[in-house]
Amino acid sequence: MTKGLIALRDPRVLLLDKPGDKHLLLGNEAIARGAVEAGVHVFTMYPGTPASEIGDALAQIADDAGMYVEFSTNEKVGLEVAAGASLAGARTLTAMKMVGLNVASDTLVTLAYAGVKGGFVIVSADDPDCFSSQNEQDNRYYALLANIPCLEPSNPQEARDMLLSAFDISEKLELPVMIRMVTRVSHTRGIVTFGPIEKRRIGSFVRDPEHFVMVPVNARRRHVALLEKMSLASKVVEQSPYNRISGRGTLGLITSGVSYNYCLEALRLIGITAQILKVGTINPLPTGLISKFLQNVHEAIVVEELEPYLEVQVKAIAQGLAKDVKVLGKLGGFFPRHGEFSPGIVAVGLSRIVGKAPALNYEMTVRKVTQADKVTPPRPPMLCPGCPHIASFHVIKVATGGKAVVATDIGCYALGYQPPLSVGDVMISMGASAGMAAGLSKVTTDPVVGVVGDSTFFHASLPGLVNAAYNNHRFVYVVLDNLTTAMTGHQPHPGTGITATGKVSKRIMIEDLAKACGIDYVRVVDPFRFESAVSTMKEAIRQNGPAVVVFRRPCVEIELHKGTAIQQSVHASI
Amino acid sequence: MNPKTFDVIVSGVGGQGVILATEILGDAALKEGLDVIISEIHGMAHRGGSVVSHVRIGSDRYSPTITEGSADAILGLEPIETLRVLKFANQDTRIIMTSKPIVPVTVSTGAYKYPALKKVVEQCKIFTEHVTVLDAFKIAEEAGSSKTVNIVMLGALAATSLLPVKEESLIQTIKGHIPEKFAKENLNAFDAGKKAFASK
Repeated sequence: MTKGLIALRDPRVLLLDKPGDKHLLLGNEAIARGAVEAGVHVFTMYPGTPASEIGDALAQIADDAGMYVEFSTNEKVGLEVAAGASLAGARTLTAMKMVGLNVASDTLVTLAYAGVKGGFVIVSADDPDCFSSQNEQDNRYYALLANIPCLEPSNPQEARDMLLSAFDISEKLELPVMIRMVTRVSHTRGIVTFGPIEKRRIGSFVRDPEHFVMVPVNARRRHVALLEKMSLASKVVEQSPYNRISGRGTLGLITSGVSYNYCLEALRLIGITAQILKVGTINPLPTGLISKFLQNVHEAIVVEELEPYLEVQVKAIAQGLAKDVKVLGKLGGFFPRHGEFSPGIVAVGLSRIVGKAPALNYEMTVRKVTQADKVTPPRPPMLCPGCPHIASFHVIKVATGGKAVVATDIGCYALGYQPPLSVGDVMISMGASAGMAAGLSKVTTDPVVGVVGDSTFFHASLPGLVNAAYNNHRFVYVVLDNLTTAMTGHQPHPGTGITATGKVSKRIMIEDLAKACGIDYVRVVDPFRFESAVSTMKEAIRQNGPAVVVFRRPCVEIELHKGTAIQQSVHASI
Repeated sequence: MNPKTFDVIVSGVGGQGVILATEILGDAALKEGLDVIISEIHGMAHRGGSVVSHVRIGSDRYSPTITEGSADAILGLEPIETLRVLKFANQDTRIIMTSKPIVPVTVSTGAYKYPALKKVVEQCKIFTEHVTVLDAFKIAEEAGSSKTVNIVMLGALAATSLLPVKEESLIQTIKGHIPEKFAKENLNAFDAGKKAFASK
């Protein structure tokens, strides 16, 4: 069955037209495979862990698959490009990490009113435990907020299956559909059985302004239409194979996604049985099925990571029942509302409710580990040896006498806040450095520096920069241009002049953009030419308005990508 | 123990090939028709941070991560990275770890002290008696390349007879995953790791 397998790391595996073939795929690769099978015509994304590998895989096979793949400048643009293609009748997919949906949310919420034509799916990869994120927000609420269907897979196989179903649901209801992943699904490798590759169907754009132009008169009507579609969705989800009950007993567990796996192992550890309702359609919830489930158990325990999303809704359903069923979960303090779960954490929570200890001395293990932890020095991630950012930070420190208040941003360079570099006093979200620096400069008498990476600069800092020019905020905006999106795996961006699929394209120069934003003082320096960089930085600080200094030097890891289009382009540009 | 189930943690530092080692293990298991789940953490790995992978073989495995105190084996590619995953160990866990430290910045700046190897082993032994220390860097170097520490450790794991995956499948998978020009040194490393474990 797996004879003649192309090496696992070769993304061309995802193109094999061999239904029934089994491969060990990352959850993200399973999504990419699902996109191939579904006949996706347009795929967009802004890279972000834990979602990046979806785009990395699709970018490499795009030409062979005949799929259009782009890294968009940010998630909002990515969602809009995909949505536009969907309105023209093509199946489209956009993927992002969870905070990316904050950026894209403005379009998403109103797009739900307008609806879509070709199937349109949004993959949001959440990151419980902040493995590589600035927060651990629970994006299930976005499905509720935008009022769109949402499916949540528990493993890579389900990720592939649900993606295909999501396209069908999207086309049936003419709505965007969300797939909510988490790190432990995106970055879990599991066995995925391939299905057939569908032939791509592309419609054409049909003018329908009353549906797609969201001026108030249309928006009011389309809101009603959305409510009708979701009421139909509520009926559809009652029959969905993704909502299933297994097990037996009078104890009930209601769970979804990755937590389902932890429940199965936790029950085994405690040595008890329970009926488990695994909810796959997390918006809308199968309320009829949940009611029926609650009727058949004495007590229902809701097991879910992060927020009490299911718990609150299940409690509301229980309120409407004639029978009195206790619904327990994190609101009662049995499970944490932060971090990711594990079989042990779920077993401890369940055992406190059922009064039976798990076959696992969790507390003892934790105690013994505390002892080992005492002699284990931490190993924080670091800027690589030879990283140009290290030199840039040193320049900033020397030029400002270490006195600068620094608003930094999202990327490798955020690590510069750590000693001994200690450059970075505030870091919140993509592109926030420009606005935050402006605000800081209005109050503090110390020099203010904003620090942003090249890809992040294009992503979300431009309005902040225009604002700085327009309102004459006095700070130096340092753009660390290492000619790649290093943190997420070296994806190209507009400043590289290379597209996602490695084609030479228009290169957008950061210094030109800064000037166009109205910044008068714009300089480009090489962080490895220390003295000239310091004197430019000093001059920038003396300006009476905003100044931009681009520190340009390629990421050391680009040398590892020898012979690639990116490396050649970077070398041609220096 | 059911011979067809197996839970192993592989831990190390970004750049050591933790993820490659776990992929080889997982793909070899898949080749034999076994069910397998691997959990990896990407993202910060490039920046020299800690990397931990979970490999779970068996049809009754659901959670992507191994239950605390339940690993059958721990492969520690670096001493203190072995300490960091001890919560997965119990008294029967087989720990195989390398002896050579990769010093973290928190130690080189003087903020923390790197524990003596003896102390690291002592901590492991609070959990389990089955602790094997290998100078995997030296073994890898002698096999042809110091970059094959991950494969030396896979060889050592293969020698434990705990693994429900045939040696031949591992060898075939290594050949399939590693570019041809590096295949020989990796196969040598696998063999050397096996022998090193057997001689302990």
